[in-house]
Amino acid sequence: MPSLIKFFSSLKLTVWLLTASMLLVFFGTLDQVHFGIWQTQKLYFESFFVVWSYPEQWGFYQQLFWLRLPLPGGYLLGGLLLINLVAAHLTRFQLSFKKCGLFLIHFGLILLIFSELLTDLLAHESQMAVSEGQRSNYSENFRANELVLINRQADTQDTVHAISSQALSTLDAVAIPGTQLTIRCVQYFPNSSLIQTKEGGSASPANKGLAARMRVHIQPKAISYSDDEVNTVSAYVEVSAAGTVLGTWLVSNVIGDRFPPQMVYWQDQEWELALRFQRSYYPFEFELIDFKHDKYPGTEIPFNFSSEVQVHHQKPNLNQRALIYMNHPLRYAGLTFYQASFADEDTTSIFQVVRNPGWLLPYISVLLMGLGMCLQFGLHFYKFLRKRRGSPSAARP
Amino acid sequence: MSHCPHRIFLGLSFVALLALTACDQAAVKSYTIPKEQPVVKSEPAEPNPMRPLSGMAEQAAAAGELEYTVPAGWRQLPASGIRKATLQVEDAELSVLVFPGDVGGELANINRWREQIGLAAVEESALATITRALTISQHPASYVDLIGPEKSIKGAILPFHGRTWFFKLLGPSDSVQANEAGLLEFLDSVQLPDNAH
Repeated sequence: MPSLIKFFSSLKLTVWLLTASMLLVFFGTLDQVHFGIWQTQKLYFESFFVVWSYPEQWGFYQQLFWLRLPLPGGYLLGGLLLINLVAAHLTRFQLSFKKCGLFLIHFGLILLIFSELLTDLLAHESQMAVSEGQRSNYSENFRANELVLINRQADTQDTVHAISSQALSTLDAVAIPGTQLTIRCVQYFPNSSLIQTKEGGSASPANKGLAARMRVHIQPKAISYSDDEVNTVSAYVEVSAAGTVLGTWLVSNVIGDRFPPQMVYWQDQEWELALRFQRSYYPFEFELIDFKHDKYPGTEIPFNFSSEVQVHHQKPNLNQRALIYMNHPLRYAGLTFYQASFADEDTTSIFQVVRNPGWLLPYISVLLMGLGMCLQFGLHFYKFLRKRRGSPSAARP
Repeated sequence: MSHCPHRIFLGLSFVALLALTACDQAAVKSYTIPKEQPVVKSEPAEPNPMRPLSGMAEQAAAAGELEYTVPAGWRQLPASGIRKATLQVEDAELSVLVFPGDVGGELANINRWREQIGLAAVEESALATITRALTISQHPASYVDLIGPEKSIKGAILPFHGRTWFFKLLGPSDSVQANEAGLLEFLDSVQLPDNAH
C-alpha cells in the first residue's frame, strides 16, 4: 500500500500524465479535421481510452493503414491527475501560512478539473424555436434522437414514452411501462435517405404506416460529423402488444409534422409513433413577443439580433418578461437562453437552451487560483524585500 | 494508522472512477405534457416552410452568392436569413434557397411543394410527368411544374456539389402560369459560385 500511495503522489506520474494529455490534445486535433468537434470531444475527452488510426485521407494510406496508437482518454487522464494532485497534498504538503498560496492554486485546479467533469456529465444543450406571437414549452437537441409513443386520448394531457435512439439501437426489446407494448428495433441507421421503392426492388421490412403506404425504404448513408449537418436517423421498429406482433414501421427524424402521424392501435388505445429530435419539456411556456434583426442603414449587415420574450410559468408569480440579445442571455429556472439564430424571414427566433448546474464553478476556481498566485508571489516578494533590507551590502556592486 | 486517510482516499477515488463507467439511464422515459394544440399560423406567405435547423443560415452563407438577371417587370426584394434571393412578380414570389445535402431527396421535396398548394403526394413513378430536365449554371437540374386548385408552383431543384438549391415561384395559379417565361429566363441567367472544378 505505501508503494501504491508513493506511485500516485509522485511528481513523475504528474509529468507522464501531462505528457499524455499533450499527446491526446495533439491527436484529437488531428482527428477533429475528419470527425468534427462534437465527435472528437466524445472520442478523445469523454472517454477512458481511445485508439487513433492512420487517417484514410492522408498520403501513403495503402502502406500505413495498419498504424494504430492507443491513448488514455480524457476521463482517465483527468481522473488520474485529480488523484495525483490530492494524493500529493495528503502525503507531501504541509498546510502552513507560507504555502497557503500554493494550496489555493491547487485547490482551484482541483475544482476546475471537477467542474469540467460535472459539465461533461450534467450539462445539456438544446434549441428552442419560437415564432412571433406563439409559445413553446420544449427545446430540441439536434444531435440526439428519440423514439416516442404518444397517447393523446386523455382530455387534458398527453402521455409521452420516449426511448433514446442510442438505447433503441443497442437493446433487444424495450417494454413500454404502463402499456402492454414492446418495441424491438429491427434495423437502425445513424444516417440515411428515404427512397421510394421501385417495382421489383428490394422490399422494405416495414408493413405498416408511411412506408407501406408510400412504398418507401431506408438507404444507409455514411455518418456525417460536420458541425453544420444533421444526420437523418431512421429505423425499422417492430411493435408488439401482449405477445402479438402488430407490425413493423419505418420511423425517421425527417418524417416531420408535414406527414400525418403514424398510428399504433391496440384494443381501445392508440399511440402516435415517431422518431424525432430529443425534446426537453419545461413547466413554463416561452412566448416570443417580438424579434428584431436590425441592420446598418442602407446595407444588409446586421448590428443587432434581439428577442423580446414573456415567460408564462405554471405558477404565475414566476412569470417574467425579458429582452435576450448578444451577450445578454436570460437565466431562468436553472436554464440559460441565448439568442442563437433566426428563421422564417425574421419572424422566428431560435434560442440555445443550456442547462449547466456547474456553470459557476470555473469562475470560482479561476478566482481561487488568481488569489493563490497573488498570495504566493506576494509572500515571495515580501521575503525578498525583507532580505534586501536586512543585508544592504548585498545590493551594492 | 497514519496512512489511513490516504487509503480511504485512494479507495474512494477508484470507486468514483468505477461509478463514472457505470452511469446509465433508464431505457424508457415516460412523462405527461399539457395537451398539445396543433400550431395555427397567421396565414404565412409560405405554408409549411422548410424547417430551419441549427447552422442552416451559416451553411447558406457558405454556399456563396448567386448571380442572375432580374426579368423585365419583376421586382427584387432583399434576401434574408437562409434565402439567397427573393423576387416578386404580380402576386407570385420567387424564392431561392440553398440547403446542405439532398434534403430528403427530390421526391420528398416535390411532395412538400405539392402539399403547400393543396395537392396530394405522388409516388416516384409519377415524377417523370411533373418534372423535366433543365440546365442551370452548367449543371443538370429538375424543372418542376405543379398546378394546384388555387395556387401553383413552378421551379427547379438543383443538386450542386453537396448542396441543393431550390428555385420556387409560388403564387396564385394565373400569376404563376403567366410568368413562366420570366422564370425560365431567370433560371437561364443564374450563375452559381463554382469552386469545385
